[in-house]
This record gives sequence, structure tokens and C-alpha cells, in this order.
Amino acid sequence: MAGQSDHELSLFSAEELEFIAEDEIVDIVPNLKMDPLCLISGDFGPFTPQIVTQVPLWLAIALKKRGKCSICPPQWMTVEKLTQVLEVERDSQEMSEHLPFHYVEISRLLFDHARDNIPDAYMVRSLIEDIRDVRFHKVETDLEGFNGRTIAVKIKNLSAMEVNIVRPFIGRALQAFYKHDSSELIPDPERAPDRRPQVAHNAPRRQLRR
Amino acid sequence: MGSRSAEGEQVPLTDEYDALISTTDVELLKRAWRNEKAAPEILRFESDLIIRVREQIELMEETVEEKSTVGTDPLSVSLYQMDLDRTLFLLRSYLRIRIQKIEKYMFHIRKTEELWNRLSKDEKFFTERCTDDLKKHLEESVLSTLPENYQSYERQSVISEEVDMVPEPRLDTFVLCRSKEYLTGIQLEDGPVDDRSKLFEMEPDVLYFICYKSIKPLVESGKIDLL
Amino acid sequence: MSCSGGCHLMCSPVKILNMYGRKACQLVKEFASGEKGQLTPFNNDLFEQVVSECSQHHLELQSLIRKMQEEGLDVQTARNADHYGALIHLFSIVRNKRCLTAYVYNRAETVRNLLWKIGPVLPKEIEEKLNHWEEEYFKKHSAALKSYMSKALVDLTVDMVPPKDPYIQVRVLEDIREGIVLSDDKNPNFARHSMHFLKRTDAEKYISRGLMEELTG
Repeated sequence: MAGQSDHELSLFSAEELEFIAEDEIVDIVPNLKMDPLCLISGDFGPFTPQIVTQVPLWLAIALKKRGKCSICPPQWMTVEKLTQVLEVERDSQEMSEHLPFHYVEISRLLFDHARDNIPDAYMVRSLIEDIRDVRFHKVETDLEGFNGRTIAVKIKNLSAMEVNIVRPFIGRALQAFYKHDSSELIPDPERAPDRRPQVAHNAPRRQLRR
Repeated sequence: MGSRSAEGEQVPLTDEYDALISTTDVELLKRAWRNEKAAPEILRFESDLIIRVREQIELMEETVEEKSTVGTDPLSVSLYQMDLDRTLFLLRSYLRIRIQKIEKYMFHIRKTEELWNRLSKDEKFFTERCTDDLKKHLEESVLSTLPENYQSYERQSVISEEVDMVPEPRLDTFVLCRSKEYLTGIQLEDGPVDDRSKLFEMEPDVLYFICYKSIKPLVESGKIDLL
Repeated sequence: MSCSGGCHLMCSPVKILNMYGRKACQLVKEFASGEKGQLTPFNNDLFEQVVSECSQHHLELQSLIRKMQEEGLDVQTARNADHYGALIHLFSIVRNKRCLTAYVYNRAETVRNLLWKIGPVLPKEIEEKLNHWEEEYFKKHSAALKSYMSKALVDLTVDMVPPKDPYIQVRVLEDIREGIVLSDDKNPNFARHSMHFLKRTDAEKYISRGLMEELTG
């Protein structure tokens, strides 16, 4: 290793993740009239009072801050939907697929800048926190099942923030396993060319979800 | 990376939404930025893309200037400015990561043709200067004080048969990646001995932690994105 | 160029004062135990000791080879005690060289990172920790980066973090009557409890003095 293993394992800072999430598209209801914006990141608008239009989150927040629109929370951000998600998360070992990759950042941005547009904001917030906790617990449980046979990990439905948190752990663990594995002097047996793909498919990966 | 729309290759896209979002150059730049950030080695410089993004930035700078002087409503000017700031950040961050990778592995990049060819003209010039400076620094501070046979910065001594003192990035690092399409038959060639001939497959839009070496060609061809 | 492999071997707590390679190992350890990104003063004393150890090894190596030659032995193939003695000296030089180079190389990396973190002008207390060559190197590298940036028409020293909305909403906590200077030359009435939409850079000075607070949501 020779001290060279310091390749950043936690790649994206919280600010960078937020930056990426700010490109997610949301619905807004403008309360001003404004010509379409021809931005480098795309064309948005025209903006007409009371007519729903779609813009990236950063643009929505900028307008909201200036009192020029209200933001429609995404469909998954309702008490009803989140209650369901929480149930599914609790009942199953798998990570549910009902939340977007950037759900943590999106919900935080909306709580910070558009709380008055979120019905039952308090409830929604606490549901999201509960979901986060349940999911983290599952990730932790899965990580305990790691072993030396792991050379690739499949992660279904893990969110950006969750990925960032487990990244250093998985990265280092895999690297360690890999290193110990490859330094073993196992004689290389003849490989049958017609090896059954099924075997190949299962062996090299240890699924994060069960 | 980014080759499909950057070079107009006719690669069928999985769905329309993807086609829509990958058409903006900012989206392509963001992808290049993430890949560059996540890859342990320096990737191919996205020269065409960077030229296009720079043109758009310039155009937008003019637009913002124009709009703010003719007294367009300050709201839309500030929105154009924010859009410009976001793009500028991506561009700077992309170029910065590359420069920092060059700083870290300059000797290795300088002598490895494959990597050298991935640099832009300006980056090549920078690398040359950097390697000269660091080489000189090492020579002045250490190497010149050593006995004659031990004065090379890249070999331990004159009897070293190969370059044995130049740091390289670790390609067996694990990276997080995602494929847009269903990929089968990925050879985990450089994996542990036991799994070397096994085939791996990737489902679309599922994240995988995997050894960079194994998917290196797929990253280079733009089939897999790092994140 | 890092100290790899047998470092621990040499550093085992065996009490032999003049163990070969020990000082070089100390040098590398000194760097490695420092806080990442921070520099300690260049340890010239220890560095010089390792350098002179190398010369000493070299002399002994040469004298062993001469001795073998005088005895009419083929230096390439002979495997007597002198041959192995010579090998030990050779390995010691190589090992010391790696440690010396690792020390300078890794410090050079930290020096380059100072450029990113602090900029081309270092405060005195940091500059003092560099030796003469490092100061030179810092200047040269700084010039190389500057030249790249002017050729590539891009300033890479700004925008280290993603941009935020340049405007923020604030509430005035206490009446501010005097010395209001804003970048847009406006002269708003900062009465207590009033709310304003200001450039972040304008508002920061009032926020830090506790005269305003940033509003979110």
C-alpha cells in the first residue's frame, strides 16, 4: 500500500451532493409573469401566474426566496406516501425503491426554503427522519455480512447521502479483502471456457440487500 | 465517457428521458466531472465538450452583461447569473480535479503514453513544467547529496532494472458505478485469482461497488458512469 | 517514493543504537505522524545525518569491493562474507535514499497543497517551516499553475465549493442607522425587525456582528 491508498473515498462533499440535487426538476406555481429563461442548463418557463411549470430545484428556490412562486412538493413527500414507505422499509430487509436518489438533499432543501409549501411539514419531516434511520440500520446490518468473497457489491436503491456515508467503509473493506485475496498464492487452475454463467453471476457479488 | 452525444454516435438510448437530459452540455459536463472525481487515474480530456461549454459560458456572460446594462428586470438577470455561476463551478471543478491529479502523479503521467495522450495541450505544458520543477527540487535537496550511482529520481540505483520509485494511482481502488444499459459478460480479469474468469453482469440503474480495474474500459467507452 | 515494506523491521524496538536505516526511518515517521496537510519545520539535522550515513555506506561498499578485487575474486559471482557485507551496505543506501526522497517528496506535495489552501503568499509562520529549496519550489510551482490558468483562461483558485444563491433574506435584529454600505449603492432602512433581501457578501458583516440574522424557509 505504501501510503498511497488515500484516494478520496468520500468523494462528494455535502455541498456538492446538494449542488447535484439542485438540478432535480420540481413543479412550481409562479405568481409573476416572466419570459422564458434560456439558460445554459436548459430552457424554462414561460412563467405565468397560477400556471404550473417545471424548473430545476435551484431555480425554484431562488424564485421562492424572492417571493415569486410556491413550490409543489414532490409526490413522495406527503404524509400518506411516506407513511407507506416507512412501513415498507420496516417490513422488508430490502431498501424500498419509492424514494429518489437525492431524497435526503431534496427534502432538506425544501424544508429550509419552502416549509410553508409542505402540508403537514412537521409530520413529513419526522417521517423522513424515521425512514432514514430505518434505512441506515439496514445498511449497517448488511455490512456486517461482508466477507472475503466479496469482490463487488450490488446496492439497490441506496440514496446519495447513504452511499456517501457507507462509501469509505465499503471501499476500504473491499480493498482489504481484495488485497489479502490476491496476495495468496493460489495456483491458477485451468479455466473451462464454457463455465456456467450462473455460477459466475452469483459468486462474485454479495448483495447489499438480502 | 460522454462519447455518445459528444461525438454523435448512434447509440440507442434506453429511454427518452435519458436522451433529453444527456443532450445538454451541462449534463454531459456534470457526468465528466463526476467520472473524473471518482476515477483514480486521469481520464481523457473532454476537449469538444469543454470547447462547447466555454462558448456557452461566454455567450451567457455577454447576455448577463447586456441584460444588466439595458435594465432588464433584476430578477431574471440574477437567475441568469446563477445559472452561469453553476456552470462555471462545474467547469472549474472539472479542470481543477485534473490539475490536482496531474500534480499528484506527474512523473507517472509524463512517462506513460496512454495517460499523456489524455491531456489537453495546456495540461501537457503544465505537466512538463511541473515535472521539471519537482525533479529539480528532488535533485537539489536529496539526490545531488547522494553517491553517484543513486542520483536518479525514478530508480533506486543504477542497478535497478526498471523504474521503481515513481508513484502511480492505485487502479485496484473500489469505485461506485452505475450502468445505463444491461451489461453482461464483464470480465473481472484483475479480480482475485479465484474469480478471474468469472463473468459479471450489471443491471441498469443499480449501483455497484467494484474494483476500478475491472471496469476501466467500460468507463472509458462511456458505458458506465462513476459516482 | 514512500517508505514501504520493511520499515517496521528497522524500527523494531531493539536497542541497537547504530542500526542501519534507523535514522531514515525516524525521518519518515516524523513526517507521517504529523497532521495531514500541516508541515513541521524541515528537520535538517536528521536529514544531514542520513545523508552522511549514505556516504559512509558507500565508502564501505567500495572498500569491500576493492578488497574482493584485490583477492582476485569475481565481484559478480563471488558469494563470500564480503559480498554479503557489500549487499547490506547497498541496501542501506537504497533504503536511506527512499526515505530521504519520501520525506522531500511528501513535503513537496504538502507544499503544493498549501497553494490550493492558502494561495501564493504564505503567512510567515508557515513559510518558516519550509527550507530554502522548498521555498523555491513553492514559488516555481505557483508560477507553473498561474501560467496554466492564464493559458487556459480559467481561474481555478475560486469556486472551491459549489455556488449558492448570491442573495439571502435577512431580518434586522437591531436598528442600523449609520455606515450602511451596500454594493448596489442603495440605502435601505434597516429598522429593527424589518426584512430585507441582500447580497450575501453585503449581509455577512452585519450577521457576524449580530445585527442581522439569516432567514430560511
